[in-house]
Order: sequence, then structure tokens, then C-alpha cells
Amino acid sequence: MNNFSISLKAAKDVVVIMPRGYVNDLGAERLEHTCEQYFDKGLKKIVINFSDMQHINSIGASVLTDIVQKTAEHRGYLCFTNMKKVHLDVFEMLGITKHVRVFKEEKDALSFLKDIG
Amino acid sequence: MKGRWDLKRLVFNLSSLVELGQEVTSSKGINEKMKTTLHVVTGMFSVPRAALLVYNSTRSSLEVLTYKGIRGMDGTRVYIKAKHIKTFKKNEPCSINEIKNNSFYEDNHDAFKRLQTKTFIPLFAKDEFVGAISLGNRLSRKSYLQSERDALKVIANQMSIALHNSNLFKKLTNKVTENKRLYENMRRIYHDTIQAFAAAIDAKDVYTKNHSYRVARYAVAIARELGWGEKDVEGIYVAGLLHDIGKIILDRGVINKGEELTIMEITEIRKHPQISYDILSKIKFPWKDVVDFVRHHHERVDGKGYPDSLMEADLSDGVKILALADAFDAMTTDRPYRRKLHLLEALREVRKCLGTQFDGRISRVFFRVLQKEIKGEVREAQIIPHLDKDFDPTIITTLLEGITAELSA
Ligand SMILES: [Fe+2]
Repeated sequence: MNNFSISLKAAKDVVVIMPRGYVNDLGAERLEHTCEQYFDKGLKKIVINFSDMQHINSIGASVLTDIVQKTAEHRGYLCFTNMKKVHLDVFEMLGITKHVRVFKEEKDALSFLKDIG
Repeated sequence: MKGRWDLKRLVFNLSSLVELGQEVTSSKGINEKMKTTLHVVTGMFSVPRAALLVYNSTRSSLEVLTYKGIRGMDGTRVYIKAKHIKTFKKNEPCSINEIKNNSFYEDNHDAFKRLQTKTFIPLFAKDEFVGAISLGNRLSRKSYLQSERDALKVIANQMSIALHNSNLFKKLTNKVTENKRLYENMRRIYHDTIQAFAAAIDAKDVYTKNHSYRVARYAVAIARELGWGEKDVEGIYVAGLLHDIGKIILDRGVINKGEELTIMEITEIRKHPQISYDILSKIKFPWKDVVDFVRHHHERVDGKGYPDSLMEADLSDGVKILALADAFDAMTTDRPYRRKLHLLEALREVRKCLGTQFDGRISRVFFRVLQKEIKGEVREAQIIPHLDKDFDPTIITTLLEGITAELSA
């Protein structure tokens, strides 16, 4: 099982998260805490770029449901980008896509977020 | 479209449960194991908030062992009395609304509020109460379907066993018995999981109720008689349970159609081994060859089968076993297009198709094990219990002896 890592890019009021590899329990927690920290700092715009994610397992889905919930509570904006068809299918099935904005490319999400307060 | 959707959900759940099986039986510590398990459950059902509570009998309370999506849950306690435990349905999900009038809920109003419990699942390992799962709202806001409740029950079973086996409950541990127990649990977990899915497959097809289950049993009987080791026997059992999973995305009308099928419909139905293969190759099973057996269960030794028209030399023993077990069950049960055959007729039919549809050596083993089962010479009969009882054992035995003699001549 290959390891999980996340890379982060924070620009002004937006944070872009790029998860990579297979989400195990530890990776899941890191992703959760990373988002939590940003919300605590008052940041409300999060982009998750899935281009380096191969497979979404249930642990990955679990973390994402959590992030969705937290974003809603903080009245933030959550965007998913660079998803493969399989990702989209899983998220749709789980009812996640109803709560996020889906963009083809990261830059599309960034330009959307730039236009809102 | 709906069918495809169900299938995606099914594959996702099946992969999740297989992953869960690997987690529960891993050598990780109980806290870590339970944390991951909780993630698997909440991911499967898109529940942002959940907690696992473990029963402390000295304090008559449930204590939070691990949680997700909620902050600061350590030290949260749910008080519980023996009279409440008695009212629980073992490992069955229950909506919090169902227990709202109960003193158990009233005593713990604050704790449930903090946990944001919407669904409560009491965990029992056999008869012992070991803990509970608390699930919050679902992201999809949907209530649980029956199939999802069934899956939750399988998971609850797994978690309760893992909890029960952990040091939280056990005072003495012996490494050897511990490993043996883990292995036993793993087997049970996989079987429960996969059985739950086989039931979903069979539900699609009114005529094949329990077909997958019987095919799995028949295949086990033949494989054992052939001298296979237990691990390989398990593999073919699983292949038997799942061989028709591809039928889930086929049109129910076609599967259950009474009249003759059109060429288009036949082509459609013949896709199912390939679809089963595509689905199952995404899942990491602990047994090798499951996918090969499944893909080729409609191949024939004369090369006229599908999907790959393989010849006898290219078919593994497992494939030949599964093909025979599948066809034999199809013969001995009612189908939309014809009535079932009597056992005597079915055996004659198998005999007639030796060397064309069925492999001679495997069929001989099948006849032999059937004879043994009729005479009561096997410890656990796998075939006879599922057949109609309207046959005369002496006549069948004579027939089988005749065929065997003829074949070895
Ligand atoms: Fe089949």
C-alpha cells in the first residue's frame, strides 16, 4: 500500500490541498486536521485537487464527508477539481457532490473563488 | 441507469467491507483498528460524525473509544442499565427516535446530543454486550435502505468480535490461540460479508433464489473431494457466491423472461461473466483465482462456451468445478423457460454432456461425492440438503455406480 501525502498551497484567502496516494487512517486524520486549522484561522475557501489521487476508498470518502460538513458549518466554500470519472461517481453516490462545487481544473475553481467575497 | 447506480454502490460497499475485513484482522492495536473501522463505516454511508463506545460493566456505562468529526469527545460517557441492554436487538441499527421515550435516552440526553447520535447500534459479541456505534446524520439525508441496514449489521458483527477479542475485554492472552482466533474471525468476516452480497445478487433474479449459495456449496463439495486445501476451498466458495454478480446490471426483465429470448437478449445475458470479472477484479481478495473462476464459469470443455471460447486444456480445475456446479443447480431448479429436472434426469444430463460441456474427471469426482453424501459417508453434506427429497436413494446410487463403472472402463 503506497503512502499517503498531502501538499498544500495557500494563496491569500484560498488554500489548495492536493492529496496523493492511498488514504489510510493516519492520512485521513492529517487531511482533517489540515482543514480544521484553516477554518480556525478564519479561512473559508478550500480547493481539493484530485489529480494525484487514484482510488477513493471508504476511508477517503469518510474524511471528505467530514470536510464537507465542516465547510458548511463555517459557511465556507469547498471546490473539488481535477476529478476522474470514478471519483465523481463515488462522490455522487455518497451525496457529497451536492455540497461542493465541482470544477474541471484548479484554475477554474480559483477564478470562481476570486470573484466572491 | 438505476441498475448501474445500484451496482456502483454495491461494488463500493463490497470493496469497503473487504477492506474492513483486512483492518479488523490486522495486527494493529485496538484503538487504531477501531478508528479505521469507524472511517470505513462512515465513508460507506457518508456520515460525517460518528463514535465508537465500549462497554464498561463495572461503571455501567459506555465510554467513547474513538470518534470522528466531533471535537472533544474524550471522557464522554453514556450510562446504561442491564434492563436497557436486554431490550436491544443485537448488532441492529436503531434510529434514535425509536428510543426517545426510553429512560435510557432520557438519562443520557446530553451525551447523545454531544455525540449527535441519529442511529445507535448496540454491539454484541455472541451474547455479550461489548459496546455501541453512534452514527450522526447522513450527508445524503436519506434513511438507510434494507440492504444498507444488512451491511451495517455485518459491520457491527465484525466490530463486536474485534472489540471482544481486544485486551479491553480479555484478561489472559495466549499468542497461539490468539492467532488462531484471529484467523477464524477473518474467515467468518469474509464469509458474512460476501454472503450478504450474494443475497443481493440473487434478489435480482426471482428464479435463482439462493442459486449463488448452492453453487458455492456444490463447488466446495467437489473441491474437497478432489483434495484441495482449505484455503483454496474457501476461494472457490467465494467464487461460487459471487460468480453472477455481473447480472446485477442486466435488465431484470431479460433475466426473468419466460419466453424464448431474442438474439439481442442472449448476447446481453452472455455478457455477465465478463461484467462479473470486471467488477471483482477491482477488489483485492485474499484468495487467488477467484476472478478467473468467475470469468470462465460458462466455458465448456469443447470450446463452445463463453466469453473466451477456451478449450479443455486452458480451463483450470476450479473453472471446471464451478461450471459443473452452476449448470447442475440450473438443472435442478425451476427456470423461467422450463421446469426443473428430477435428480435422476439431471444426473443423466450431466453424463450425456461429458466431454462436451463438462470435464470427465471433475464430473466423476462429483458423482463420487454425491454417492458418499447419499450413503452418509461425509461429515458435512453440501449437496443433498439442497435437493428435492423426492428421489429414491437406491435408484440414484445404482445409477451413479453404473456411470462410474462405465467411465472407468
Ligand atoms: Fe452465470
